[in-house]
Amino acid sequence: MNYDCLIIGGGISGLTCGIRCQSAGLSTAILSAGMSALHFSSGSIDLIGYDRARRIVHSPFEYLKEFTGAMPDHPYAHCGVDTVREALVFLRDTLKAEELEIYDNGERNHFHVTGMGTLKPTYFSQRSVFNDSIRQAFERRAKIAVLNFEGYRDFYPELAISNLLKNELFKNVEIVTGRLVFPDYGDPEKNPFEYRSIDIARIFDTIQYLDEIAEQIKREAGDAEFVAMPAFIGINNYKKHHQILQMLTGKLIYEIPTLPPSILGMRLDDALKSRFADLGGVLIAGDKVMGGDFLDGVLDHVHTQNYGTTRLRARAFVLSTGSFFSGGLVSDSGGMREPVLNLRMSATSPRNTWYSPQFLDRKGHPFFEFGVETTGKLNPFDAEGKVIENMFCTGAILAHYNPIGEGSGGGVAVSTGYYAANQIIKACGK
Amino acid sequence: MIDLENISFDHCIKCTVCTIYCPVARVTHHFPGPKQCGPDTERLRIKNPELLDDSLRYCTNCKRCEIACPSNVKIADIIQSSKWKYFKKKFRIRDYFLSHTDLIGNTAVKYSGIMNFFTALSPVKFFLDQVLLIPSKRIFPKYARGTFRKWFKKFARKKQSAFGTHVVYFHGCFVNYNEHGLGKDLVSVMNAMNIGVTIPRERCCGVPLIANGYIEKARKNARFNINALRKTIEDPGTRIVTTSSSCAFALKYEYANLLEMDNSSIFNNLNYITRYIYDQFQAGNVPPMKPVTIRAAYHSPCHLERMGGVIYTIDVLRRVPGLDLQILHSECCGIAGTYGFKKEYYDVSQKVGSALFKRIEKARPDFVITDCETCKWQIEMSTPYKVLHPVSILARAFEK
Ligand SMILES: Cc1cc2nc3c(=O)[nH]c(=O)nc-3n(C[C@H](O)[C@H](O)[C@H](O)COP(=O)(O)OP(=O)(O)OC[C@H]3O[C@@H](n4cnc5c(N)ncnc54)[C@H](O)[C@@H]3O)c2cc1C
Ligand code: SF4
Ligand code: SF4
Repeated sequence: MNYDCLIIGGGISGLTCGIRCQSAGLSTAILSAGMSALHFSSGSIDLIGYDRARRIVHSPFEYLKEFTGAMPDHPYAHCGVDTVREALVFLRDTLKAEELEIYDNGERNHFHVTGMGTLKPTYFSQRSVFNDSIRQAFERRAKIAVLNFEGYRDFYPELAISNLLKNELFKNVEIVTGRLVFPDYGDPEKNPFEYRSIDIARIFDTIQYLDEIAEQIKREAGDAEFVAMPAFIGINNYKKHHQILQMLTGKLIYEIPTLPPSILGMRLDDALKSRFADLGGVLIAGDKVMGGDFLDGVLDHVHTQNYGTTRLRARAFVLSTGSFFSGGLVSDSGGMREPVLNLRMSATSPRNTWYSPQFLDRKGHPFFEFGVETTGKLNPFDAEGKVIENMFCTGAILAHYNPIGEGSGGGVAVSTGYYAANQIIKACGK
Repeated sequence: MIDLENISFDHCIKCTVCTIYCPVARVTHHFPGPKQCGPDTERLRIKNPELLDDSLRYCTNCKRCEIACPSNVKIADIIQSSKWKYFKKKFRIRDYFLSHTDLIGNTAVKYSGIMNFFTALSPVKFFLDQVLLIPSKRIFPKYARGTFRKWFKKFARKKQSAFGTHVVYFHGCFVNYNEHGLGKDLVSVMNAMNIGVTIPRERCCGVPLIANGYIEKARKNARFNINALRKTIEDPGTRIVTTSSSCAFALKYEYANLLEMDNSSIFNNLNYITRYIYDQFQAGNVPPMKPVTIRAAYHSPCHLERMGGVIYTIDVLRRVPGLDLQILHSECCGIAGTYGFKKEYYDVSQKVGSALFKRIEKARPDFVITDCETCKWQIEMSTPYKVLHPVSILARAFEK
């Protein structure tokens, strides 16, 4: 098997890279073991949310200019601010081609509400999570109704509201709660307490329930002008059904990202994979890259679990297998390693300094910053410390950034995937 | 007793990703989905089989949940084995009829004219629908006249000895009883590549038997096939191929994982056909091809996807000059073997497929290409397009 570009890992980073390469005419394949961090994410793309003193960043690009100057090893510094901007525009346009619309706030970050009722600065959100009408209603201090489905245990409106009300921004905002109950679909055996966001999303996806849901929303929300619900307003038909519900109720309805499985993240995943396939890319799902062999200092081929002895060759390889969470990095008694090719890691400190004492530390844990070391062009080093020139590492596998502490996970994944693609396209002479 | 070998359900991190990608849970609220039917309730069933839930029957065994799972849980295997371990066996003539393909096929090909005529008649369809619970909307694959084996013996076998290299061809029931054309195409493609074909003794691979809970019969067939195939590969270089992706999947994976049979003696020699052709092409054995100027949309069957074979088909097809190939975003077609032939699942089956049918319509191809015979039935019944097998495309390209 022979490709121009073979990408290992089908998260947002690998997919961005693949779509860019394939649309430039390179024959591209993406291999991915299981579903990616998108399914566990908020579905918003964070660019840079906090500065080094933990203050909120409002103008991310402006801040990045200064930040990349001070942090020369940071992935954003490797890409350069202009490439970061281009990458995000590319992502937005790609999603738009799949009819998934992103709210674009130009140069500014906006906030999305978390399921816990805290506010997080982010750069791109789906329009059902943030848009201008929501912003305006908020500025008018309009009354909000936070609704939940009875039995859905991954969201507690009362908790969310009590946290929201602690926030300066929500001063003088009236917030009420209410509950929706399941439309009857003739299955008395089914216990609503078993439902997860995906089950509820499927109810919203079914047109015949919308009238009843709309009635319930109207009743429960009363005179509130806008209604917040956990993000489960459909998967395939969410756009149309969201509009219908707003029309039927006369209210603004917006979605709050939920605990996994993340419907918002899943919409992104769907759109990106569909785009990649439409462009003619080959996606090999459910298979794991086990290793590869070098020839004359470059990576010659990799092999996988399912394809056994078949060698998958490419002119360029991209490793975007994610961090510890996705198996791109592993830690065992010997320390931390990159399991596919044993690439050189950033210097790691003794194990007892890996974690912060608080599990949900807002700065993130020190181990978040561990990862694969690369050159400024994102080329990794082999175990002996030699640069591998036909290979690029992108996304959460990279060292020297802190996705949680900086609020930069999605942005780094997208920018580095895009930046690697640019270099591969150039190297292939396209 | 808890089988310590099969506790992959313990690796489940409860993320529900599998349920998102289950094509059945997507279309019916009556199926709680792989997470709940697999890892969540397996621990309960182990304790007390009474806790079995009837909704398990909705699972089509497409394995898409396993592809999506980030923790490598063998979800579909758990569900299948629970189905036949815990459900009480009830004899159903329909399920017997649908799953005993050898028995029915052998009879049907003798009377194929009458059979095809009858299964298309509306009173018969009415009877099938009302009494046997086979939906009248379902179009039956036509039976051929005689078997492929007979044809092979009479017209092809002699010529095969002229070739130095041989491949063992497990043709499966579909080629034997319904579609000789594909078997003939396989022989002509192999011969064009200077490879002779031999056909081993074989029985139905067991896919429909497994799906309908005839596990002992499936094991019997498996034992027969493993033995028969092992004998054909005494020379270790010999390769066995199938033109049905589901037969290959069963022979390689369902035998070992579900039926718990030792198939290691044939495992490495056996592959779905495009893998073999790919290897031949890699080794330089590429006969001249003439352009096949058609626009085709390729649909990848669930089981080929699970086993890892799609890239070979795509690679082989991409070498055919003139073939304008569009790869469809991977979706289940919904038929899942005999599942779509059952009245109680017919609507679910069609709903599952609807996303794929829409993509096909959008692609506006001349033909659809796929590796699996039941996907072919489903697509031909549900869209206006005719479906070809990759081997038949090659046969056209190699035609002198
Ligand atoms: C739980 C969680 C929530 C997050 N939420 C957000 C958020 O809301 N917003 C935000 O901006 N950022 C968020 N992040 C940060 C996140 O790291 C990035 O946003 C981004 O999703 C990372 O993408 P990636 O493509 O680099 O890696 P991943 O999404 O982790 O994808 C890696 C892929 O590679 C596959 N893989 C691994 N090893 C192999 C192998 N050997 N062979 C083949 N495939 C392999 C994995 O199965 C996986 O599909 C979150 C991270 C986590 C862990
Ligand atoms: S995808 Fe795997 S880990 Fe997640 S719930 Fe399903 S079985 Fe469990
Ligand atoms: S095998 Fe297919 S139908 Fe069965 S649970 Fe898994 S995804 Fe659903």
